[in-house]
Amino acid sequence: MRLLRSDHLAAWSRTFAIQGSWNYSTMVGAGIAYSVLPLLRRIHAGDPVRLRESVERSMRPFNGHPYLCAMAVAALGRLEQDEVDPQTIEKFRTALRGPLGTVGDRAVWGQWRPICVLVGTLSFLLGASAGWSAVAFLVLYNAGHVAVRVWAYVKGWQAGLEVGRLLKGAWLERWAERLWPVNILLTGGVALVLADVVVSQSTVPLASVALLGMGAIGALLAFRFPRQGGRAAAFLLVIAPLLWLLGGLTG
Amino acid sequence: MAVLAGGVLGMDAVSWPQIMVSRPLVSATIGGWLLGNPAAGMLVGAVLEIYALRHPPFGAAKYPDTGPAGLVAGASYAASGGAAMGALLLSIAVGWGLAWIGTVTVHVRRRLNERIMSPAGVLAADPGLLEQRHRMAIWLDALRGAILVAAFLVPSVLAVTLVVGTGPSSLGRYAIASLVLGLAASAGAAGRASAFGVRGWPLILVGAGLGLLLVWGGLT
Repeated sequence: MRLLRSDHLAAWSRTFAIQGSWNYSTMVGAGIAYSVLPLLRRIHAGDPVRLRESVERSMRPFNGHPYLCAMAVAALGRLEQDEVDPQTIEKFRTALRGPLGTVGDRAVWGQWRPICVLVGTLSFLLGASAGWSAVAFLVLYNAGHVAVRVWAYVKGWQAGLEVGRLLKGAWLERWAERLWPVNILLTGGVALVLADVVVSQSTVPLASVALLGMGAIGALLAFRFPRQGGRAAAFLLVIAPLLWLLGGLTG
Repeated sequence: MAVLAGGVLGMDAVSWPQIMVSRPLVSATIGGWLLGNPAAGMLVGAVLEIYALRHPPFGAAKYPDTGPAGLVAGASYAASGGAAMGALLLSIAVGWGLAWIGTVTVHVRRRLNERIMSPAGVLAADPGLLEQRHRMAIWLDALRGAILVAAFLVPSVLAVTLVVGTGPSSLGRYAIASLVLGLAASAGAAGRASAFGVRGWPLILVGAGLGLLLVWGGLT
């Protein structure tokens, strides 16, 4: 049966909840089935046996970036409509898992989200109100977020089995490669301005040049050895209030 | 109100709708706003962000659950008046600790989801049941966030408010230096998480240099 625009809208909007039942057995598999269900109900209307079979297929283990899973949902709906055989659908799902995760993680989690967060933080540190900075971050981030979900769904439906080819060298991947220097620049800049704002909240005198030098060395070492750097950062975060309290108790 | 907000923030990170109100920059600001000082909340959130940025949720990596934790931390600092250094340091540490407690609860919820979403055959035969269970899993995530806020908000606010009275001491400068160096190390590790290899290391210094210009230029 021919799909309606409202079916696509329902499936697309459900992808916002695609990780709702994420678990270690099927990962996002049940979420894929939940999202593709409006399409399957229309495609297999009046045929409960085929509906059950296709829902069962959709529930099998799957993983990928949640925003790009919209592409998988649309493509799987397309394959079901085109009556592609189950073995091909299973192979397609397996082939799609890797690229959907890698491309989305690198572009969205690795670049877009940090950049938007840092822009929001910087606007606050430069004097914008907290409310405005939070809203600016949310609007900027979600403009990209929703655009990616729409693009993924539309391309998934149009490309069907050819989605894998579409992901190779997609604009998302190119963007990730172009944006990372901006990301690192912002990280260094925001961390320094934030440290200055924190220090200026206190009346305690600090040897600024020495602290600046130590901070630069610390940042470089953590960049080279991120795991150890991260642990050191967490230790310093916990020790800071303890030192403060200890100083207060001992006078 | 805070518990309801905790529910929304708890489910945003993973379950629905992932619009990132669960990022500490926003959740801590909401916490501060609930206690009448959003700017104090955002300052705490900004520090937590630099720490959270080095934990991108790539693959099976564990990452801090900063939604409810940010709210509690931001509210705690706002309740203290948003001006005392000791309160700021403690609020940040409480937020970071609670974020990792949140991670443990996320793990438990994922195990619970395995039970909720099985057996697959029964759910496939009844798509209505599948939808019902999926939505139930999302509501459980909201409940998880609400419980975290309900359990930790009052103790955290009380603890941070108690610290307000402790003024700077001989160890005060070391405490602040500790936070600043922690921020630097976290920024370095966060920069590496977004870099394509180690080749971007000079950029972190260039970025810090640009930040220094902003500070010297009096723009902050």
